[in-house]
Amino acid sequence: MSDLVKRFLPFASLIALCVVISVLEPKFLSAGNLAGVARQTAVITIIAMGMTVVMVAGGIDLSVGSVMALAGVVGALAMAGGAPPFVGVLAALASGAACGLMNGGAVAALRIPPFIVTLGAMGVYRGVALLVTDGKAVVGLPQSFGYLAEGNLFGVLPVPLLIVVAVALLTHFLLSGTRAGRYCYAVGSNVEAARYAGVRVSRYQIMFYVFLGALAGLAGAIESARLVTGQPTAGEGYELRVIAAVVIGGGSLSGGQGSVVGTVIGALIMGVLSNGANLLGISSFTQQIVIGAVIVLAVTFDEFQRRRLETASS
Amino acid sequence: MTQSAPALEMRGITKSFAGNRVLAGVSLRAAAGEVHALVGENGAGKSTLMKVLAGVHQPDAGEILIEGRPVRFSRPADALAHGVAMIYQELSLAPHLTVAENIFLGREPLKFAPLGVVDKREMNERARRLLSDYGFRLDPRAVVGRLSAADRQLVEITRATAEARRLIVMDEPTSSLTAHEARELFRLIRDLRARGLAVIYISHRLEELEAIADRLTILRDGREVYTGAWGELSHGEIIRHMAGRELKEIFPPRTAASGEVLLRVERLTRAGKFEDVTFEARAGEVVGLAGLAGAGRTELVEAIFGAQTADEGEIYLDGARFDSNSPDRSVALGLGLLTEDRKRTGLCLNQTLASNLTLANVGALVKGWRLRRTREREAAREYVERLHIRPPDPSKVVGRLSGGNQQKVLLGRWLFAGSRVFLLDEPTRGVDVAARAEIYRAVNRLAEGGAAVVMVSSDLPELLGMADRILVMRRGRLAAELDAKHTTQEEVLRHAALEEGEEKAVVDSYV
Repeated sequence: MSDLVKRFLPFASLIALCVVISVLEPKFLSAGNLAGVARQTAVITIIAMGMTVVMVAGGIDLSVGSVMALAGVVGALAMAGGAPPFVGVLAALASGAACGLMNGGAVAALRIPPFIVTLGAMGVYRGVALLVTDGKAVVGLPQSFGYLAEGNLFGVLPVPLLIVVAVALLTHFLLSGTRAGRYCYAVGSNVEAARYAGVRVSRYQIMFYVFLGALAGLAGAIESARLVTGQPTAGEGYELRVIAAVVIGGGSLSGGQGSVVGTVIGALIMGVLSNGANLLGISSFTQQIVIGAVIVLAVTFDEFQRRRLETASS
Repeated sequence: MTQSAPALEMRGITKSFAGNRVLAGVSLRAAAGEVHALVGENGAGKSTLMKVLAGVHQPDAGEILIEGRPVRFSRPADALAHGVAMIYQELSLAPHLTVAENIFLGREPLKFAPLGVVDKREMNERARRLLSDYGFRLDPRAVVGRLSAADRQLVEITRATAEARRLIVMDEPTSSLTAHEARELFRLIRDLRARGLAVIYISHRLEELEAIADRLTILRDGREVYTGAWGELSHGEIIRHMAGRELKEIFPPRTAASGEVLLRVERLTRAGKFEDVTFEARAGEVVGLAGLAGAGRTELVEAIFGAQTADEGEIYLDGARFDSNSPDRSVALGLGLLTEDRKRTGLCLNQTLASNLTLANVGALVKGWRLRRTREREAAREYVERLHIRPPDPSKVVGRLSGGNQQKVLLGRWLFAGSRVFLLDEPTRGVDVAARAEIYRAVNRLAEGGAAVVMVSSDLPELLGMADRILVMRRGRLAAELDAKHTTQEEVLRHAALEEGEEKAVVDSYV
């Protein structure tokens, strides 16, 4: 019973939030506004998919905002140098994956807590992005590149939304339909138990960080397309919004728990909250307070549930 | 004995969790100067009853009287204030503090009265005196986190006994102790009893209760089914009361001819842990590994499995040289290790029964890239049925199963992985009698199916009942190899114990 409540609470909150906002401001439900919400939350949601995988496995990655900026810059430099948009996106993906490989490698090989590794990496990647661009935006990107962020398929479906859906389906399959996904939950739940059961823990950990890095790279490309420049300062503070999305959606900081559906809902709750606040004329300062409170509430509820279950089982 | 009220009386204690009735009107009286044994299968309600007594849980109905006066414990500190102390099954020490700091946690001797500075010297001195009174060889300044599980248990015991004034509850205190330490503990318990304390002692091991218990209460399904003087019931009757049915064959007979050598260990050495260990295990055979805690048995099986490294020596599987350096290779080659500590190195507690059971062989559930859920469920169902895992629900979170059923899930994991050499490290620790019998039957079926089983156990009746041969380890070396059919507990202990005097005492305490 309480499992069910836990499953549906984030979803129910999202629906309730939408109902309240649309009653107060009917414009919320207009196609234009909803597409806007989809575009604004796309970047966060895409990274949050990868973060879900890493956090389910018991890790965390604070460097995703920096990875996104670095990958966006690398892709932009490639295109500014004459490469077609397709190659630019691949370059962003590849450089994001490379950052993930370094993060995962350090976590697995050096056995340093991921919080520390990626806290350091956050500074390093941001610094590299600033160094290679000399702190300036990379300009001169092809016009067609903007389609990635601003385009519509059949004139109605925002391209970033389609990318989000594709990434979410892929991640969902990875987590719930593959061996890697099964190991992901096992490693996050009890890394020693997984090792004793014959799971090659390091290999999978690295894989998960690479997956997250690649998605952060993809998000970087979309962000560059939105701004039509490569910004070395892009994505600052995104890591916390991404982690918040995972946590609001039922992911646990101690690993072994979390789902794609939950994270998508978590990202939407934050997106809808800030969109609704904008529509209702609530200042961005107040928004920050509200979002902060929501995060604490979500985690408190989660902990409360967990403790209740634990007492019941003892 | 006396006309005065008993040290403790619990009347009609009822407690439910989420609609699930765990205690249904349990009454319990413990008199001063008496050791009261509390037995029952896992899930019978023993631990919950004791947590009610300690003030961890509040009862839904019923009352607690201390020396005839009703009391209400709403938190552990209340119970302590009434002189009721408890040794929990799960250790509850602060790992970064020293032995002495843990013993006196919350009651540190102070100096410079107004400032309340901890008097470390005084504290260490008092801890040292306590420990040596109790016969525990521990340095009061040692950091608890670096101690072995057995030593931590001793610290826990010392702390609780130092706090207890009226009543002390011990929940499976010997589960990680050596025979020698257990003997010291029993001496201490007799001491506490002589000082007029009431002792409630929870254990699965009837053999050790024999040495200390005065009275006995048996719980089953949240009710008390028997209370009386110890000795009125035979062990068989006690087990029948606990299980609610007859368990004639705790150690069922096995019909397995030993076949070819599956595992051969040659001169395996790990500095400071075990040295020059050579033995072999054949198909169809159960090899017992006896020894005191710290003799290197766990380290040995972990090294064979590849979870720890060995410095020297060779391991052969099916006659082929095998470099054990990582569990994944061992698992692929048909080795399975049921670890000593199922919560730390065995289970993914917040995952399902099915995913825990299949973890060592997820490959068998995968087709192409796809993990097939139906196959997972079928596999889990099969082993749930074969091992009588309760509740029989593959989607149940494994952390909510009882200890015995958790252990069966882990055994099922290696069965499903198709292992041929099973290393079982204390497979029945903290497991109730009924689940034990299931585990024994499963081990027999393994041997009969042509697997080689190496079984580490501190429970001698179990080793004598299950093993074909018993290897005795002493201080990291193989001290003897005994034929289980023609040896006795005393003989095993004689080889396992260190010094002449110690050996005599150990034997006395157990026999």
